Amino acid sequence: MGAGSLIVLIICGIAFAGGGILLSKVLAQTSTNAQKGQAYECGVPTQGRSWIQLNVGYYLFAILFLIFDVELVFLYPWAVVVREAGWMAFLEIVIFLFILFLGFLYAHKKGALKWM
Amino acid sequence: MNEIVQFMLPELGLTVLLFVLLFVRIVGKLELAGQVCQLMNIALPILALCMWFMPAPEGAQFGGMMISSKLIVTEKLLLLVGTWIISLFSSPWLRGHRHPAEFYMLMLSTLMGIFFLLSSGDFLLFFLALELSAIPLAALCNFDLEKHVSGESAMKMIFSSALSSGILLFGISLLYGATGTLSFVQIPALLDGSPLQIMAFVMIFTGFAFKLSIVPFHFWTADVYEGAPVPVTAFLSVISKGSMAFVFVSALYTVFRPLSEIWYIAITLLAVISMTVGNLFAIRQQNLKRFLAFSSIAQVGYLLIGISGSSIDGMSSVVYFVLVYVFSNLAAFAVITLVSSATSRETIDGLKGFHASNPLLAWVLALALFSLAGIPPTAGFFGKFFLLTAGAAKWNSPVLIVAALNMVVSLYYYLRVVKAMFMDSSDDTMIRLTPNVSVQFALLLCTAGILLLGFYSPAYEWIRSLSFGI
Amino acid sequence: MNEVPLSHFLILSTALFFIGVFGFLSRRNLVTILMSLELILNSVNINFIAFNQYLWPGKMDGLFFTLFIIAIAAAEAAVAIAIILHLYRHYRSIDAEDVDTLRF
Repeated sequence: MGAGSLIVLIICGIAFAGGGILLSKVLAQTSTNAQKGQAYECGVPTQGRSWIQLNVGYYLFAILFLIFDVELVFLYPWAVVVREAGWMAFLEIVIFLFILFLGFLYAHKKGALKWM
Repeated sequence: MNEIVQFMLPELGLTVLLFVLLFVRIVGKLELAGQVCQLMNIALPILALCMWFMPAPEGAQFGGMMISSKLIVTEKLLLLVGTWIISLFSSPWLRGHRHPAEFYMLMLSTLMGIFFLLSSGDFLLFFLALELSAIPLAALCNFDLEKHVSGESAMKMIFSSALSSGILLFGISLLYGATGTLSFVQIPALLDGSPLQIMAFVMIFTGFAFKLSIVPFHFWTADVYEGAPVPVTAFLSVISKGSMAFVFVSALYTVFRPLSEIWYIAITLLAVISMTVGNLFAIRQQNLKRFLAFSSIAQVGYLLIGISGSSIDGMSSVVYFVLVYVFSNLAAFAVITLVSSATSRETIDGLKGFHASNPLLAWVLALALFSLAGIPPTAGFFGKFFLLTAGAAKWNSPVLIVAALNMVVSLYYYLRVVKAMFMDSSDDTMIRLTPNVSVQFALLLCTAGILLLGFYSPAYEWIRSLSFGI
Repeated sequence: MNEVPLSHFLILSTALFFIGVFGFLSRRNLVTILMSLELILNSVNINFIAFNQYLWPGKMDGLFFTLFIIAIAAAEAAVAIAIILHLYRHYRSIDAEDVDTLRF
């Protein structure tokens, strides 16, 4: 065991995946025509360029999600020791979540959650 | 429990005020929020009185995370009074604004960050407090929502403060690797001047230099000051910078005391550069806020001379200087806020003929500028005098000579504004400004502060008596 | 199996830090500048975790510091993105070169 086995594993993986693609290129017959390039079954031809400006509303939601999502990182250390830490820690977490909830209410009041 | 409440009284008081504002904003109507903001002008001095009569007991709490001493309480009190003055004179600007409650929320949370910063005894709390005092400030810079310069200044503020705290953090992480602790009490014994520790110190020092806008790291200052609304500029240049000066000096004197031979050279060098560059750039400014930005860079240069003394005198002269600086600079900003919100003029030329139309306001501004320039008998003279005396303890005469020359240069550009007000006449005469009661009160407080501190010498002795044990 | 030495982590974090500083100074897109700042903060995180694990395994200071840095970085990014959005509404651009009203 060691670094050697890891390298062997990587080589095997590359050989397995790459070899399959290479083999199918060599063995399979190919034909090209116009119909083949079209979208079919589930999809429509794209319109315009793909680098378009996204609606600003997405960014607002992204900001709110970012804040409320990341603050939950503090719940993990508490969750690990929830039994030993006791009620005092529980109370502190409740206060923490309450403050976050106030922030959420504020965002709601300002209309940041309405879709423009 | 009761002990902790008294220990954290300033922070808890601000938290209560913040919650009241938030509740009112969530539940009530917009007009109600505006009225509650008027109440803040009364609530802040009440909090200051509580802090004065029930000072936090000396010592440490939360396992050494938070520390408190008489000096720290005094510093907090000074910054709270400064914030109160800003709150008083920002009322004419705030009346026309759509979000008065948010202004107070952001300002008070910044102040709370500053309070935690002053009493932090651990790099973890220090970092959290630093960010709490920097992030809302960037949002405050953006508060003139219609002006695009305001947004630009906010952008520069958030990026420069984020970069500086990133560099500071990298330094803290190296220091943690070198010493294995984050506590301010334990670090000094473990500092032995190894290369890794020097590297860590240099990075932490750079972070501080960014925040204090010491010269090679000052580029954000002028832009941010010019773009931000005037009361926010006042907050940035007085409260935020004053708190950073307090923290900087106590960090150097306690945590990095064993490395004092290294930081002494850096500080004297930076003091010379800061004074010179700040003064020379201030000469060519036309915008009043930009002008005060460069003047504040120069003032930080004088501050560094005081710090280089590394003695009790150094500590107490820094605190005294910030005390004087709060009153002088806020008086200047109060007048500029009045002028700017009534006529939207913010240039030196815009003040031409100011004395003819508003004699009293012109005298207040002139007094503030005299104090900033350091002309006796205003308090500014004694502030600079004590700083240079503290620095002179090291017998570093070239630095003192440069400082004296710089004061002559600074006299020129401060008097340029006075000349515009008193001697120049202009075609479009200024309307007569009528400050309301709260602005009058703020101006009165500042003027009294400038004059009384100049004549009443025991103030310095009192601060010096608090500084023992540093 | 050999353990990865501490110096590898430090080289990685230092490289990341300076890539971040370089990106901060050289990029023109404001969002990319923000991403460079996140790189700097993450390099600090790596430093703290590595030091905590290798040099001071008994203490948890470094781990907790990392958690707080993550949370603060999110708050900072949120405010910065809000400011950038506000700038975009005025200038119709998020290029740092276009936002240049204030200068000497």
